[in-house]
Amino acid sequence: MDPLVAAASVIAAALAIGLAAIGPGIGQGNASGSAVEGIARQPEAEGKIRGTLLLTLAFMESLTIYGLVIALVLLFANPFA
Amino acid sequence: MFDFDATLPLVAIQFLLLVVVLNAVFFKPLSKVLSDRQDYVSSNNTEARERQDKAKRLAQDYSEKLSSSRRQSQTIITDAQTAAQKQSSAQVAEAQRKLQEQATSIQLELEQQKQAAFSALEKEVDTLSQQLLKKLLGPELAR
Amino acid sequence: MHFGSLLLNSFELQHLLPSAKLEVGHHLYWQLGGLHLHGQVFITSWIVIGLLLIASFAATRNVQRIPSGIQNLMEYALEFVRDLTKNQIGEKEYRPWVPFVGTLFLFIFVANWSGALVPWKLLRLPEGELAAPTNDINTTVALALLVSLAYFYAGFKKKGLGYFAKYVQPTPVLLPIAILEDFTKPLSLSFRLFGNILADELVVGVLVLLVPLFVPLPVMLLGLFTSAIQALVFATLAAAYIHEALEGHGEEGEAH
Repeated sequence: MDPLVAAASVIAAALAIGLAAIGPGIGQGNASGSAVEGIARQPEAEGKIRGTLLLTLAFMESLTIYGLVIALVLLFANPFA
Repeated sequence: MFDFDATLPLVAIQFLLLVVVLNAVFFKPLSKVLSDRQDYVSSNNTEARERQDKAKRLAQDYSEKLSSSRRQSQTIITDAQTAAQKQSSAQVAEAQRKLQEQATSIQLELEQQKQAAFSALEKEVDTLSQQLLKKLLGPELAR
Repeated sequence: MHFGSLLLNSFELQHLLPSAKLEVGHHLYWQLGGLHLHGQVFITSWIVIGLLLIASFAATRNVQRIPSGIQNLMEYALEFVRDLTKNQIGEKEYRPWVPFVGTLFLFIFVANWSGALVPWKLLRLPEGELAAPTNDINTTVALALLVSLAYFYAGFKKKGLGYFAKYVQPTPVLLPIAILEDFTKPLSLSFRLFGNILADELVVGVLVLLVPLFVPLPVMLLGLFTSAIQALVFATLAAAYIHEALEGHGEEGEAH
């Protein structure tokens, strides 16, 4: 394999996972904060809020996972190798 | 990692078969069980409610009957009490009357005996006094 | 089409820890009349299907009015998927979709957990290794394409060709986006599931490679949790897409 492609792939993989973690991190923080606020305001709705929160967190998490998939492609199944 | 091959359609077919089989052996029978249980519970519930209503009505009937019979027994008791009162007072009066009679008859008898005794005593007193006179004055003077 | 591991070959610690080896992209290939198959996917998915069938037979073999044991468990599962479908599709039309969505949930759930709970590495294969069936992109894409077919079928069955009206419903300007959505839906569904499960197994694999004992346990627990949530997400989204097709134009608030 071309060392230049290997180096670029590693950097690109790191960037992919790192950048993809920023947005969902902010989003998850916002969602969790709002959920905690909601629970504090309405403790009897805790179960419902928690269920919805987990589902939405999974959705946001999957955005990072897309970045991870790209990183894995670059590392393990590099089409330019 | 991203090598698509005949695995994809075969997994899809396999999954569809799984849907069909699970529908036959899992979803349908258990749904039926669940709905049967739902029916059973609701029918039992209505039945129990009917029974409860019936029991309540019966209890009301019984309490009504109970109170009426209690009233009846009250009247019977008071009747019996007044009758017994009457009877006992009559008997008491009778007994008093008898007692009175006996007392008066006994008093009469006593009076008669007293009279008899007095007369006997007087006779005796007479004879005794005659004898006293005879003894004191002699038989001649005594005449 | 066989890409070996590119960079992690340098992590070759097999001589140190025989069971701690990162393998991505190796498969046990089966030949079926000129077709290539991934054998390990079929082996584990048959085991998963067998588990589901055994549990179903055991639950319905001797049904009681007062459930206990396996029947209770499976009734709970059934009520769970039924409520899930009802919440997404609505009281009126959810009934025929319960088997599809429920099987999606149960299959993915059991497959994910089998990958996390069963020590597959104890079984040696000539090539590749056993893992959750959802660890393979073929499985997840197959499931996602089935979901696509399902919602197209639902829309056509409900409205006939009028189903296509929803592509130009508010305004024809959004036609490309509406068409694009039909492609992004299965793509996001399959990649979400595949990426999550693969990431779980990779993280656990890397941690086992570094510290073989105890340290990977919390991550494994997190993996169990994520696996369950991903099964729930997949089934929920499938039901939501079907509902969207049944309802037609209007809300498209689904995350991708």
